[in-house]
Amino acid sequence: MTLSLPMIALVVVFILLGVGLYALLVVSNLIKVVVALQILGKGAVLALVIAGSLRGQANLGQSMALTVIVADTIVAVVGLALAVQVRRHFDTLDLKSLTTLRR
Amino acid sequence: MWHVIIAVGILACAVMAIRVQRLLVSALWLAGTSALVAMLIYLLGAPEIAVIELSVGAGLVTVLFVFAINIAGEENRAVQAMIPKPLAYGAVILAVIIAGWLCLPTLTVDLPASPALTLGSSLWGDRAVDTVLQVVLIFAGVLGVLGLLAEGKTHASLENKA
Amino acid sequence: MLIPAMFVSMILLPWVGAVVVWLTGDGHAWLQHNLAVTFSVLAAAASVTLLPFSKGSLVLSIPTNLTFGNFSFMIDGLGMLFAAVATVVGSLAVIFSVDYMKGEAGLGRYYAFVLFFIGAMVGLVTTANLLLVFVFWEITALCSYALISFHNDDPKAVAGGVKALIITQIGGIGLLIGALLFYSNLHTLDINDIISRVGNLPANVHSLAAFAFLIAAAAKSAQFPFQTWLPDAMEAPTPISALIHAATMVNAGVYLLARFYPAFADVAGWRLAVMIVGMLSALLAAVMALVGNDLKRVLAYSTVSQLGFMVYAVGAGGIFASQFHLMSHSVFKALLFLGAGAVIHSVGTRDMRLMGGLRKKMPLVSTVFIIGALALVGLPILNGFWSKELVLEAGLQGGPAWIFVIMLLVVSLTALYTFRCVWLVFFGEPRSHLHAHDAGVAMRVALVALAFGSLTTWLLAGPFLAWLAQSVPNQSIEIKTGAEIFLKILSAPATWGAIVLVVLGLAAWWWRDRLSGLVQAFRGVGKAAADSFGFESINRSVVNVTQVSAEALRATQTGVLNWNIFGIVAGLVIILVILALGA
Repeated sequence: MTLSLPMIALVVVFILLGVGLYALLVVSNLIKVVVALQILGKGAVLALVIAGSLRGQANLGQSMALTVIVADTIVAVVGLALAVQVRRHFDTLDLKSLTTLRR
Repeated sequence: MWHVIIAVGILACAVMAIRVQRLLVSALWLAGTSALVAMLIYLLGAPEIAVIELSVGAGLVTVLFVFAINIAGEENRAVQAMIPKPLAYGAVILAVIIAGWLCLPTLTVDLPASPALTLGSSLWGDRAVDTVLQVVLIFAGVLGVLGLLAEGKTHASLENKA
Repeated sequence: MLIPAMFVSMILLPWVGAVVVWLTGDGHAWLQHNLAVTFSVLAAAASVTLLPFSKGSLVLSIPTNLTFGNFSFMIDGLGMLFAAVATVVGSLAVIFSVDYMKGEAGLGRYYAFVLFFIGAMVGLVTTANLLLVFVFWEITALCSYALISFHNDDPKAVAGGVKALIITQIGGIGLLIGALLFYSNLHTLDINDIISRVGNLPANVHSLAAFAFLIAAAAKSAQFPFQTWLPDAMEAPTPISALIHAATMVNAGVYLLARFYPAFADVAGWRLAVMIVGMLSALLAAVMALVGNDLKRVLAYSTVSQLGFMVYAVGAGGIFASQFHLMSHSVFKALLFLGAGAVIHSVGTRDMRLMGGLRKKMPLVSTVFIIGALALVGLPILNGFWSKELVLEAGLQGGPAWIFVIMLLVVSLTALYTFRCVWLVFFGEPRSHLHAHDAGVAMRVALVALAFGSLTTWLLAGPFLAWLAQSVPNQSIEIKTGAEIFLKILSAPATWGAIVLVVLGLAAWWWRDRLSGLVQAFRGVGKAAADSFGFESINRSVVNVTQVSAEALRATQTGVLNWNIFGIVAGLVIILVILALGA
């Protein structure tokens, strides 16, 4: 396994995905959830760019990466607006107290 | 050599982003992650995407985070996660290792040469529908945010009157 | 260009009407009534004008670039008959509803679902793409549930609706399994393609698909062992019972069997299984109708029994016989239900033991009800006679003799319970003080139209047979003229045997006092029938088990994000492990 650029980039993808998933498992603050989603999104963008260029269809990969960036940003925007509203209505951003399903 | 440094930097920034307690610092570490990822994308041969990622990820989203954290305020309670940490570690590491083991050994190629067409022609040619949908998505996001924040304003103004 | 436009309007007009009526709002009841009637009558007109043009051709084909093939629709004898019945009986039921639902709340919801249902039913029987069959199947189940539970503050209605939904959805699983088996082996979803290439399937896949489709049809048409939902669905407003549970939705199962008969006729044991399912349903339902006291429940059991006849005919290979009986049954059963609706609407109760002597107070309703009852019994001149004899004839030629004998017994039982029902409601002395008035104008229009149909639709036998034989692909039906058919029926010994049995059934009711010894002997059977032969308790235990296990599993639904993400990651790990081991 040579330490070529694609190899490193893929390792980075897995690192980002792993960190993002771990964060989603342990955070309890709503804004931290948005941070975790952003990290996952960057992993996805990187993966698409690499996959596109390795298969010879660089443009396809990059177009999809652009779509993912746009979608992720909008998710972050609306998610943060939601977090602000939740803070206003319920006065807490803690995930455990926000649940309304009976335990 | 640079690639390895960038990779280590990304790992460090991402881990710090979720470990720190204060939300503002977390957003700043996220900006750092964005910048390093943008650099990696540039080195992979996609300059347009790198620029967009840098400006949006490290710029726009960070500003948004700062705004939101200012309005929403920091939480000061000590919070305990519902999933015990060892279990979370175990599950994620297992997933990453198996996925890595499945993908990585098949990679022995180097990056091919740059494509013939530029990204722009591809965006508006093959992926035109995609691009139009993204514009629609942006409008929808803006409307959503306006709707959400407007409701907050009337709620607050009602509270002020009462 | 005109024909595809007519066809599209047949499905879209009711759907557009549903949206329009719903948007009109519940404050304008007069407008809602008339809009609903207009749209349903227009759809009926479109379907009737399409009848001469339906020669089995593909009328509409929407190419999709997905793997589902084309969304194609074809009009042939089998499908257009159903479509015409659905739209015409549907419009008559809507006309009837103008009087029946006068002053009710939630009319927008009611008419929207009825119109939505009519459009979906037409789509179900005319589409040639198996995926669309499934989609329309589910839509009709949804509308049926919504309309049964229309009075959603009445717990019995809601329970009936949920029960109907669950049992028909179990059938839907059968349809899905069959469709998936076909698709994975033949890589096509086009029905004609599948039927012509069905020989390429491996034998066990073929029989699995055949029995899966049989389960789907049995659940939808309330056949054995799924017959328990139809009597409980009688909590619906009576025009709904007439439309959905007599004339259209329950026929979807028979349609499915008839459409796929050429594909499954060669599967070992399938035809016998179909005939046995039909026979058991006919027999059990007839016995249960004999001991029922609720007017609509008796009619519901009667529907199950007659559907058993149709299923029996399909199993024996008599596609024409079963479709002809379906046409007659839709007409006279809708007539019976609407007549019962008029009676119930005016006296306010469904219990037949409290009725009696209503013939004097409701002359028109009693006349049309008796016409419908005679058609059900199968007296000559009425359409039920010709079609039932055809069914028996086909059964004798295509199936074992012991099933035929049992079906003859069911004919006699049919006469018995029908006469009991008519006697208890309309003749004799009034058993309680009931305020009764004859039906309103809208009700009369619908009732008289259907009564006229009961008297005359049998004349269409000859043209109908020719139409079926020429237009339905993949089926082999020999053509006879109308006169030949009638002559054949009149000269068959089975006919005279059946007539004798009908007379025996009527006589048994007339001299029921003298037969009281016999009645005592069968009392045990009567009690079992009143408990619907134990199927209700099976139902209840299944529901109990489901609820207990659902309560136990509720602990996993915490609503906390971390748990849900953990579920996702765990699933990811499992998939990755499977991939790693499998690769």
